[in-house]
Amino acid sequence: MPFVVRLAGGILGAAVLAGCTGHDSAQDQLTLTVSRGNCGSAWETPPSGAQKVLVRNVGTVTTEVDLIDPGTGGVYAEVEALAPNTERTMDVTFGKSSYAFRCFAEDTDAVTGPTIQVTEGSPPASPAVLPISSQDLSGAVGAYRGYVTKGLKTLADQTAALTRTLRAGDVAASRAAWLRAHLAYERLGAAYDTFGDFADQIDGLPDGLSKGVQDPEFVGLRRIEYGLWHGQPPKTLARYGDQLGTAVAGLRAEFPSARTDPNDLPLRAHEIMENALQFELTGQADQGSGTGRATIQANLDGTQAVLDALGPLMTKRYADWPQIAVWIAKTRELIKKQDGTAMDRRRLNAAVSQLVEVLAPIAAIGDVRRTS
Amino acid sequence: MSSNGTPRRAFLWGALGAGVAVGATGATLPTRAEATAPDPVVPFHGIHQAGIITPAQPHAVHVAFDVLTDNRAELTDLFKTLTERARFLTAGGTPPDPGISAPPTDSGVLGPTVPADRLTVTVGVGASLFDDRYGLANRKPKQLTPMTTFPNDHLDPAESHGDLSVQLCADNRDTVVHALRDIARHTRGAMQMRWRYEGFNSPPRPAGTPRNLMGFKDGTSNLDTNDAALMDRMVWVQHNDQPWTTNGSYQVVRRIRMLVEFWDRVSINEQENMFGRRRDTGAPLDGNHENDVPNFAADPIGSAIPLTSHIRRANPRTPQSDDSRILRRPYNYDRGVDTVGNLDMGLVFVCYQQDLQRQFEAIQNRLADEPLVDYIQPVGGGYFLVLPGVQNTEDYLGRGLLT
Ligand code: HEM
Repeated sequence: MPFVVRLAGGILGAAVLAGCTGHDSAQDQLTLTVSRGNCGSAWETPPSGAQKVLVRNVGTVTTEVDLIDPGTGGVYAEVEALAPNTERTMDVTFGKSSYAFRCFAEDTDAVTGPTIQVTEGSPPASPAVLPISSQDLSGAVGAYRGYVTKGLKTLADQTAALTRTLRAGDVAASRAAWLRAHLAYERLGAAYDTFGDFADQIDGLPDGLSKGVQDPEFVGLRRIEYGLWHGQPPKTLARYGDQLGTAVAGLRAEFPSARTDPNDLPLRAHEIMENALQFELTGQADQGSGTGRATIQANLDGTQAVLDALGPLMTKRYADWPQIAVWIAKTRELIKKQDGTAMDRRRLNAAVSQLVEVLAPIAAIGDVRRTS
Repeated sequence: MSSNGTPRRAFLWGALGAGVAVGATGATLPTRAEATAPDPVVPFHGIHQAGIITPAQPHAVHVAFDVLTDNRAELTDLFKTLTERARFLTAGGTPPDPGISAPPTDSGVLGPTVPADRLTVTVGVGASLFDDRYGLANRKPKQLTPMTTFPNDHLDPAESHGDLSVQLCADNRDTVVHALRDIARHTRGAMQMRWRYEGFNSPPRPAGTPRNLMGFKDGTSNLDTNDAALMDRMVWVQHNDQPWTTNGSYQVVRRIRMLVEFWDRVSINEQENMFGRRRDTGAPLDGNHENDVPNFAADPIGSAIPLTSHIRRANPRTPQSDDSRILRRPYNYDRGVDTVGNLDMGLVFVCYQQDLQRQFEAIQNRLADEPLVDYIQPVGGGYFLVLPGVQNTEDYLGRGLLT
């Protein structure tokens, strides 16, 4: 009974499977039935080409099912978290290669089904990608945390300098000090809630607050920016500097003990620039300083730190990895060219938009997976 | 791009990280899921592009792009990618699964299997593409100029012209939106949208030609697209200074706002005299039925159909005006509220012709200062040359222009 790939109609045999490329009626659906300790057996050789494999969990525990290259352990396709008594379709384009299913039932060691060899057609169009475990990511996470730790120290120094300058009362000097502190923060690559509540206190925007820029909860770097570019005397802003210093100190104190989810790092590879596109390139975050372009440069620094950490894992898994450097360079060059024609602006939009496209696969590849 | 190796620079996100280019390698044709109803397909390959003499589908988007590639090789990659996406989208099929190598290759807006839904993708080029960027100046057809500003125009430069135009038409709105997202995603680094118009065609009310938002049947008198000889004479580029443009067609897109609140305050007689047709039936004012042919010769001083009426100016029906006729393919648009609380709606006027000056411009000049101008306002658009068709799987859009 634990036979695995078969015709859903119950008719066994490669003869019926053969030649079914190009259509997929219910009769020639490949079906894989899995349960704990069982990842199929004796499956028919599928013809090469696009197939839908129905994966059915008849067991009692949630199971992840990967279609792998048994030679390398690389993954062609996956069905994540398949709950008991559910089924999902796995889209596969079979090429001339060997394949096996590998099942990861919850709290159970991986089980690999038999190897089958597809002997016709050209090699698979997309090669199998070696999965990344949280173990694999620990080096990268460590490297990135080192970068953040150093960056937080710089941020603390720049924040202290900003507060001193505000207290001294000179507008031009205060604006310059603000920019240094702001960029120190932006270089950390704190996109989408990375630093939780501290982030709101450090660079929260007035947008979600009921009284907007007048709201007492509008504090931090953006509040100081607003004041410095709206005629508010620096001295009156010093108290925001003090609050900012407290928040930064809190973050620095907490960071060493806060765990970084290994999944966060591959995600951040594109999220920092997604954030830059959404808030800086649009000008949405600007509170008057008009320093969005400098902010994007700082965000690119933050992205680069993530990429440097992930590079060793990604270069052999992501064929278009070299494109990232091309589009980062192009973005940096366009940011510097600040003559502001509509066409230049569109060029910058294009570069940032393409950059996030080439960064996005890192999150998919780097999603932490079980390998045993 | 897969037919010619990988692009020099992956601004064209054809492979979406998965390295899968469906159909192009010949190795992996997508499976078509069993459809519950037949999925109507307009063939993509042909000597002419689809979407011109194709009967107008109910939904459309017209988009102009600025091309941002650094050189001609990248421009060629852009046209190949556009071709590949159009070929897939108009045929429908299951997008490739990238496995764990990338996010999904398709937005999923149309479900796991993309229906064709009578989608057409029609690509044109504007005069600005022939500037000094890509060394195409000597390929520029003489008649392709930036859109003329006419006396009654109120053009917004941000909404006018463009290097490239893409017209997407389909039976359903989601199909058009899906196609636009797909094309934009695969070409982000190579081109950016400059302007975009969403259009729809109404159902017949109650019968005959659909109505525009002024309440009049619009499209009654148009070229017969089944008459191939007429199409060769009026729509397809034939004899010209640039042989590569043969079998292309000149496209005019103009967003013409209708001042509908003002219009609704105009008496029915005045409305009908402005067009020269009855509002209820669409009949010419000298006839009884929508398809009656107006007889201007029998009405020399315009006592039935005023000399200044839209149809009389647009098509005087004389031997001299005969070769200025155009193929109109307009859509209604409806997009929000202006600063005085009036509705922003009107017509995305689209027409196709062999010769911009001989046809569209001649008509537009005859229409100058027609009584209707008080109730409409052209606000943007452009002139484009729709490229010759893609003949087979080896061919691509713009091949004649670039090689
Ligand atoms: C908002 C703007 C416009 C509106 C509301 C409009 C409306 C109409 C209507 C109701 C008709 C009569 C029905 C028919 O035969 O289709 C018509 C005919 C026509 N219009 Fe327009 N039109 C507009 C703009 C234009 C423009 C810009 C042109 C070209 C420059 C044009 C060219 C024509 C032509 C050639 C005909 C057919 C005349 C004939 O053969 O009898 N129209 N239009």
